[in-house]
Amino acid sequence: MPFESIADPTYLRSIVRVSLTVSLTAVLLSTALSLPIAFAVGFSEFRGKRLITAVINTGMGFPSVVVGLLVLMALSSSGPFGSLELVYTPEAMILSQCVLAAPVITGVALSSVESVDEAVRDAAYGVGGTRADVALITLKEARFGVVTGVLAGFGRAISEVGSVLIVGGNIAYADGTSKTRTITTAITLETRRGEFETALVLGAVLLALVLLVNGVVMRLGGR
Amino acid sequence: MNLDLDDVSYGVDGTAILSDVSLSVGSGEVVTVIGPSGAGKTTLLRLAALFERPTGGALRCDRTDPWALSREDRLAVRRRIGMVFQRASLFETSVARNVDIGRRIRRPWPQRLRGFGRRLADRLVRDEPTVDDRVLEALELVGLGDAWDRDAASLSGGEAQRVSFARALATDPDLLVLDEPTSDLDPRNTAILEQAIDRSRERGHGVLLATHDMHQAERVSDRVAFLLDGELVEIGPAERVFEDPRDERTARFVRGDLLYDDNELLA
Repeated sequence: MPFESIADPTYLRSIVRVSLTVSLTAVLLSTALSLPIAFAVGFSEFRGKRLITAVINTGMGFPSVVVGLLVLMALSSSGPFGSLELVYTPEAMILSQCVLAAPVITGVALSSVESVDEAVRDAAYGVGGTRADVALITLKEARFGVVTGVLAGFGRAISEVGSVLIVGGNIAYADGTSKTRTITTAITLETRRGEFETALVLGAVLLALVLLVNGVVMRLGGR
Repeated sequence: MNLDLDDVSYGVDGTAILSDVSLSVGSGEVVTVIGPSGAGKTTLLRLAALFERPTGGALRCDRTDPWALSREDRLAVRRRIGMVFQRASLFETSVARNVDIGRRIRRPWPQRLRGFGRRLADRLVRDEPTVDDRVLEALELVGLGDAWDRDAASLSGGEAQRVSFARALATDPDLLVLDEPTSDLDPRNTAILEQAIDRSRERGHGVLLATHDMHQAERVSDRVAFLLDGELVEIGPAERVFEDPRDERTARFVRGDLLYDDNELLA
């Protein structure tokens, strides 16, 4: 299949596009979900807080193939969300990456929010801050930890193979463009059929992308 | 702002920390609370700065009970009070942005969001800090006019404490609540902060100060209150309390020989 080689820039471009779209969307969604949870848990004292923290931390190491399997079962035609017909679509991949990234972002953000000194919250309140101001200032103080959490979540999402392979199906169209083929699933495929050169180039592209995203985010975060 | 505490009590889980404390701070007046560690000075100051709600008695700001107001109206009262803590606790940003924080959070949300967006954009291309006149003025009051573009983390302990004082001054509060602001400072830094206290008084602001430094209490105060085990033992003009205390315990405390044994006052 000569069109599915690294010599064909359309193939490479479409794979990179799918990878980035899926992983960035997944990370945005899971950040929007995770930060409020991290704040709610980090800012309050209640029974069962340690249990919730333990559950979040366990979620960080959740095997991606298991997540893929569960998402597939939920989305398959006999599953509860079968009517949405999402199996083997980028949306299904976004969902499974979301599930994988959320505990990482929540866990790291929670620990950095909790490490902000009580005195800093007092200071924020003392300059006339509302509860929202105190939360925002705490977020700013915890920003390096929060940014690290988001980057770790992005790293988990974009470098993940198991679940996207299961729910996405690693599909490319006949013209060589990707439907649900990501850089990682493409590397798996290329390696299996002996196209090590292509696999290596894809690996280098993946690394470069992760570096680029890290660089931009770190710069925005002020480090 | 006139602050009045009328038989104010405060307790947590049934344990009394303050009992029936009455005192007032008028405009242009410096009232200093002295007393041993654990007497309840910090709690008293936190009540005065509306961090905590009294569990008994009445607290009034300009004859209004702020805790009877809506949250929004109480915020407006709270924003007329500036608090300085024993520990500087500066935010991880530049000195100027630390001092400016009170003014920034008072701006309407659209303006704050625009400022945030501008800063994010600035970070991608360049990072040139600027400073506002009000911020400079507050920093100059504590002798740190040329430190505005420094990173707060690079300050010495004394400088950080002066910046946290400037942070409270920058919003021009009617009442300053100062919890041992000079406890970690050398004589020179202490003198600078005492000058700033004097200046606030001259501008007609009230100051409620807690200190362990008897000389400082004598130097800066109009009135002095002696707090012991959560009770106000004595309050009066500074000179009178130091020269001619009415209560024996006050006399021993200001002489420096009020001693404890297993938390019991020695007779």
